Amino acid sequence: MLPQALPTLPPADVRGTEVGDARRLREALAGAHGPVRSLYVHVPFCFHKCHYCDFYSFVDTQDRQGVFVDRLLEELRRSAACAGGAARPRLETVFVGGGTPSLLAVDQWRRVLDGLHRMFDVARAGEGGEFTVECNPETVTAELMGVLAAGGVTRVSVGAQSFNAAHLKTLERWHDPANVERALGLAADAGIARRSLDLIYATPGQTLEEWRADLERALGLAPGVEHLSAYALTYEPNTAMTARLERGDFARADEDLEVDMYDLLVARLRDAGMERYEVSNFARPGAECRHNLAYWRQESWLAAGPSASGHLGVGEAGGWRWKNVPRLTDWMEGVASSGGWSPAQDVEPPQAGRARAERIMTGLRLREGIDAGLLDATAARREVERGWMVVEEGRARLTDAGFHFADGVARRLMGSR
Amino acid sequence: MQIRNFSIIAHIDHGKSTLADRLLQATNAVSEREAQAQFLDSMDIERERGITIKASAVTVFHQIGGEKFMLNFIDTPGHVDFTYEVSRALTACEGALLVVDATQGVQAQTVANAYLAVNQNLELIPVINKIDLPSARPDEVAMEIEQVIGLPAEDCILVSAKTGQGIPELLERICTRLPGPRTSTMDFTRGLIFDAVYDDYRGVIVYLRMFDGTLKVGDKVRMMGAQRSFVVTELGKYTPKPVKAQSLSEGETGYLVANIKTLADVRIGDTVTQEYTPAPEPLPGYQEPKQMVFCDFYPAIEGDDEDGSPGQRKAASDFEELRDAITKLSLNDASFTFQTVHSEALGFGFRCGFLGLLHMDIIQERLEREGGVKIIQTAPTVTYQVKMHDGEEREIHNPADLPDPGTFDEIREPIVKIDIMLPERCIGDVMKLCQERRAEFKAQQFISEGRQMLKYEIPLAEIIYDFYDKLKSLTSGYGTMDYDVTGFHADDLVKLDILVNGTPVEALSIIVHRDKATVRGRLLCQKLREQIPRHQFEIPIQAAIGSKVIARETIKSVRKDVTAKCYGGDVSRKRKLLEKQKEGKKRMKSVGQVNIPQEAFMAVLEQGE
Repeated sequence: MLPQALPTLPPADVRGTEVGDARRLREALAGAHGPVRSLYVHVPFCFHKCHYCDFYSFVDTQDRQGVFVDRLLEELRRSAACAGGAARPRLETVFVGGGTPSLLAVDQWRRVLDGLHRMFDVARAGEGGEFTVECNPETVTAELMGVLAAGGVTRVSVGAQSFNAAHLKTLERWHDPANVERALGLAADAGIARRSLDLIYATPGQTLEEWRADLERALGLAPGVEHLSAYALTYEPNTAMTARLERGDFARADEDLEVDMYDLLVARLRDAGMERYEVSNFARPGAECRHNLAYWRQESWLAAGPSASGHLGVGEAGGWRWKNVPRLTDWMEGVASSGGWSPAQDVEPPQAGRARAERIMTGLRLREGIDAGLLDATAARREVERGWMVVEEGRARLTDAGFHFADGVARRLMGSR
Repeated sequence: MQIRNFSIIAHIDHGKSTLADRLLQATNAVSEREAQAQFLDSMDIERERGITIKASAVTVFHQIGGEKFMLNFIDTPGHVDFTYEVSRALTACEGALLVVDATQGVQAQTVANAYLAVNQNLELIPVINKIDLPSARPDEVAMEIEQVIGLPAEDCILVSAKTGQGIPELLERICTRLPGPRTSTMDFTRGLIFDAVYDDYRGVIVYLRMFDGTLKVGDKVRMMGAQRSFVVTELGKYTPKPVKAQSLSEGETGYLVANIKTLADVRIGDTVTQEYTPAPEPLPGYQEPKQMVFCDFYPAIEGDDEDGSPGQRKAASDFEELRDAITKLSLNDASFTFQTVHSEALGFGFRCGFLGLLHMDIIQERLEREGGVKIIQTAPTVTYQVKMHDGEEREIHNPADLPDPGTFDEIREPIVKIDIMLPERCIGDVMKLCQERRAEFKAQQFISEGRQMLKYEIPLAEIIYDFYDKLKSLTSGYGTMDYDVTGFHADDLVKLDILVNGTPVEALSIIVHRDKATVRGRLLCQKLREQIPRHQFEIPIQAAIGSKVIARETIKSVRKDVTAKCYGGDVSRKRKLLEKQKEGKKRMKSVGQVNIPQEAFMAVLEQGE
């Protein structure tokens, strides 16, 4: 089952990394390591590039979907061989993101789902499994939802972003806000019980009242959602949104307003029974996204598709991190020429110091916090004295006030020791 | 052989350097190819080759009707800050070419320089340059010269330094119209120093004009004002290539090298005489350089980290670097002064004095470029005279040094007379600007159709900030100005202190007229609120006169430091981002826990609308 000889690395594999690191990553994946129970699949197609988006995606021309799926299945086959000893390794969480996964044609979806189940033992909802697909409200159809539900998809995440037409336009999102409700209804009808919504706030010109209206609209949806991700608009480098900001098309939201919007979000969702379990993620009890928690808890996950990132934990020393090459053609060529190996770049070998820093950085963003033993006692005490952190029963957690300063706290705690 | 010593004087960009080069070329002193590089203004070449070839005086030869002439061009510094140097250079001459751009006409500096030349009793030849340009209007410009300077319009020589048109006529006029050197009236030796430059290999090169007697290589000479003596090791002339000579005699112009280590030993305007047979009196007109504008330079360091203060630890070595850079630069420019200062808020630095605003900018730029240091510069201030109750007179170069109110009788500030040349349609706006700056109207003069000159007396403190920029913007770039300090005048001046987080920041203190204190204080607080970043705590910014707070603003505490998104793939990127933020560097100064960026120190300069 496991490959004995490793193929020669084509040049496309090594961009941004040492040849040696890419080879050692493959050895690590092929060798003995801890359990891998999660998989991320990246579908790069979009029908329009949203102006705030810095994910790898491009406008779909339909003609490359078939060959994309061919390569994806090859990569999944190789990944399955690496995931664990079993013929069909067990996956507890699968997350298909993009891009716009719902833009993949129904026939192609059938092939992806068939292949996935052939190669992996994907846990069903009843077994505690979680299989999420990101959907754009505009592209959801009853047929697609039926195929996804039949293929074991347990959860959809719908990119609503806003219900205000003007702000959607600023973000260059072109969907009709009414389609969010329609998409959720189609998912529910197909039997997909777990539904999440993405919202964006602090868009240029947005008022606190407009944000409140968006929140009320999200909470009033029927059928309802169990989970909400709400992100303050972030101006990522090399995005159209940032270029427009720099050009002076609009002004960044005032810091005070952004904080007020966040406070409103936390309070309103708490009222509605959705607790903050991560800086920007809220859920009814038990409805947390297990796949994302795997990221934040430094668990291992496999990565498939262009620009997908993976992590392979190897104990106390931390884990390997890597990213697939982002360009579709490079990725396809890399997969095809190496017998399904992911063409990785930005490979980071395990390193204990880095692992600690990452644990602190991502763990502090969670309600559950981190093992206080990771922290320098003096540095931790200083954050507690500031009122931004509490240490209880061996866990260090941010306070409500501290959540506003998660980066600063992490910066200081990461640096000490 | 007859000798003609002369300068070319002009407003900036009216073509002085091009004309000088064209004259050198016309007298065959330089080839066509060499003429590409402007000889009298060749700082670039100097930098490239690392040697001093800048010539402040060039000697060439010309023949008119079989008679041979030695022509000595004496270069003059091109800016208002160096009026004294210009006047010394003119003293070395008997004549001057007054160059005026045929498209721009008479400008403020043209007038100022013309008056300087007239005061030295020089013979002026009016030259209208750039007549090849389509927009040239030589007849009108000739009328302006007659109107404003009083030189007959028909005496103007029309030239194009670019094409060479009119140059032979100009050379002839120089030879026939300008007077030769006056005959010496004494047996002693006297030479006037009109410029000096520092050369890495030979030390200081002194440019001088001999008025009486002769200097020879090997002579022991004495600088009468500086009271220093040196043995002459080299004499010569620039033609424009240096040509050594055994002696320089009365009426001649040339250079002197005498193993002089620093420019501080040589003063422009000083008189060189023989050590053993010294002249009884120096040549008239020598003055100590007078610094009129002062500011502090501090080494710029990183702002304090949220937790510790790594920035402060680096400060000591940065101060030494700054000291080295300033000391080195002072070898090259003896006209700025510096002394160590210590500020509660900013640590150790230097209080420097300059001849004017431009001079200050030049020094700051050279320190950063040539000295490789990063500087926090405080807002410039002028010299104030304070008369204490007990009759003691004090000179204050720093608002922080102003004695407590109630201990002195009066404060006097420097007043300048200012000439502003401007288009007629802008007069209303510019008069309004002058009134806002406490200026006293003196006169208005017609220059030519559509152009006027305004004369004011105005406190120097009012023009060292943004006055010139405002004038340029009100006149769409057409307004020009020139100023000259005339004296000191008492007024109701108060010290305005700025407190950041309760700590007075001396570097932000200013001296203002009492009537304007509240407005300035409010503006300053607002400006600082915009410039100083939010901190973990609230920061009050206050403006106060004595213990009375007259304006206040508050910088709110930072309310968020968290990025919204962190996906699986973002972990590496986000970690690197946080690490980078930790190292983030900015030119800041830490004052009582508050990081103040450089821009904030310059906020003092802006006076609002």
